[in-house]
Amino acid sequence: MNTNENIEGLISRYLNGKCSAEEQNELIAWIEESPSNSKEYFEIKDTWDSLQNSREAAGEQLALFYKNQYAKANETKRIWVRSLSAIAAVLLVGLLATVLLPSKSGENKSANLQVFSVPLGSRSKVVLADGSIVNLNSGSELQFSSSFSPENRIVNLSGEAFFNVKTDKEHPFTVKTKDFDVKVTGTKFNVCSYNDNNYSTATLAEGIISLKMNKNSEIVKVEPGNKFQVDRKSDEHTLVEADVESEIAWKDDEFIFRNIPFPELAKRLERWYDVRLNYQDTRLQNYNFTGKFKNQETIWQVLDALKLISPIDYTKKSFREFTITYKPLSMK
Amino acid sequence: MTEFDQLFRKYHRRLLLFTLKFVDSESDALDIVQNVFVAIWENGKFRQSEDAVQAYLFNSVKNCCLNYIKHQKVIRKFENETSLQLREMEALHYQSGEKSLIETENLQQINSAIDSLPEIYKEVIVLSRFEGLKNSEIAEKLNLPVRTIETRVFRALAALKEKISQKSFFMLLCMSRLKR
Repeated sequence: MNTNENIEGLISRYLNGKCSAEEQNELIAWIEESPSNSKEYFEIKDTWDSLQNSREAAGEQLALFYKNQYAKANETKRIWVRSLSAIAAVLLVGLLATVLLPSKSGENKSANLQVFSVPLGSRSKVVLADGSIVNLNSGSELQFSSSFSPENRIVNLSGEAFFNVKTDKEHPFTVKTKDFDVKVTGTKFNVCSYNDNNYSTATLAEGIISLKMNKNSEIVKVEPGNKFQVDRKSDEHTLVEADVESEIAWKDDEFIFRNIPFPELAKRLERWYDVRLNYQDTRLQNYNFTGKFKNQETIWQVLDALKLISPIDYTKKSFREFTITYKPLSMK
Repeated sequence: MTEFDQLFRKYHRRLLLFTLKFVDSESDALDIVQNVFVAIWENGKFRQSEDAVQAYLFNSVKNCCLNYIKHQKVIRKFENETSLQLREMEALHYQSGEKSLIETENLQQINSAIDSLPEIYKEVIVLSRFEGLKNSEIAEKLNLPVRTIETRVFRALAALKEKISQKSFFMLLCMSRLKR
């Protein structure tokens, strides 16, 4: 009898999604035949399922979780504020004549801050009250006061973000960072200002932006296609022509880097994949890397590719942690 | 990181994999897992001991999956529902106290068990699970009949199953000795 072999093939075909309806019925009949058959099948399927190589989505899902909770909390708060403000309006009628406007703006200042922070390994998008769209890269944080409105457009950024600002010549939009403030009326631009980098940049895709340095209030104008860069160590700043497309490719989930030194690449990989890359060998620092990953490759695929084209090797140390070593390319 | 964040990061992938046993659509599976986390956030259960939380998470997911399958049966009334029937049987199987490997084992350990398989088994598992090739594609690549690949996939899984369960089997032995 070759039923045994038949069942093996049947289960394997089913797991691979290659079973006809007829075969599925056959499989069910076999499973229902005896408890030992069903135990056998469920254990095999369980083993198969636990080998599943699914995309790690925890970071992104956690961000989504907080976003939903935040929206929910805000909804109840809004209702509460509305009914409260109705009462307050009645009570305040008498007082209104004596209350001056400046005190109102003071009140706004103390209003609580709204914070969007994106964990490492994921990216996110925020639409602001004025219709401007902000894409946030891994490990970034966008803050603005709850008084943010189409007339009062100021945000704080640490990390990297791409801004598509709604045009309004009357009310400029300001992005504050550690090193400079960017003031625009309506443009598309990318700001990269991670606290652990030794530089900070602003790249302009469309329109015009003016930058004000925090140190000495110097004002710099940036034109489309240009990248403004501040070196945090030497405090010098430069304006260079940039490949805007690859600078902002991250917002479409593409990981592109052009001629960047290894330490910079390692930092970017760590943020993009939420992993730790450890390396000691100083020889690694002498290599510059250029590459394009467009299909949401896994960290393994990226490291394997780098291993092929450059003198590095890697070992997995623990969950989300790799050690990178120097290993000259062999001429096989 | 808060306690809740840690819990989320630790269990999210396992719960998702577990849900995907019974739910085809990844976005529906993500929703189910998300809702279960919302529930423990709102009822404060995430502050209990980790064992209790783990049991609660997997039980909730199981129940949500059963509801999901029931709902799917209504929607797909006139379609072939043998695969739904199989899934329901599977969900009920775990409902009866059986534990899934995803539920009990460290996934890392399962992956390292693959490495200890004989080469011909390891090869088919890697190709079919990690590179997503169909049996027929593997057969072509290795220049072997499809039936051979099917048998190898099955045998590889059976061998793996033994390796993983050996640990629990050993514990069982120790326990029966204690009883005597």
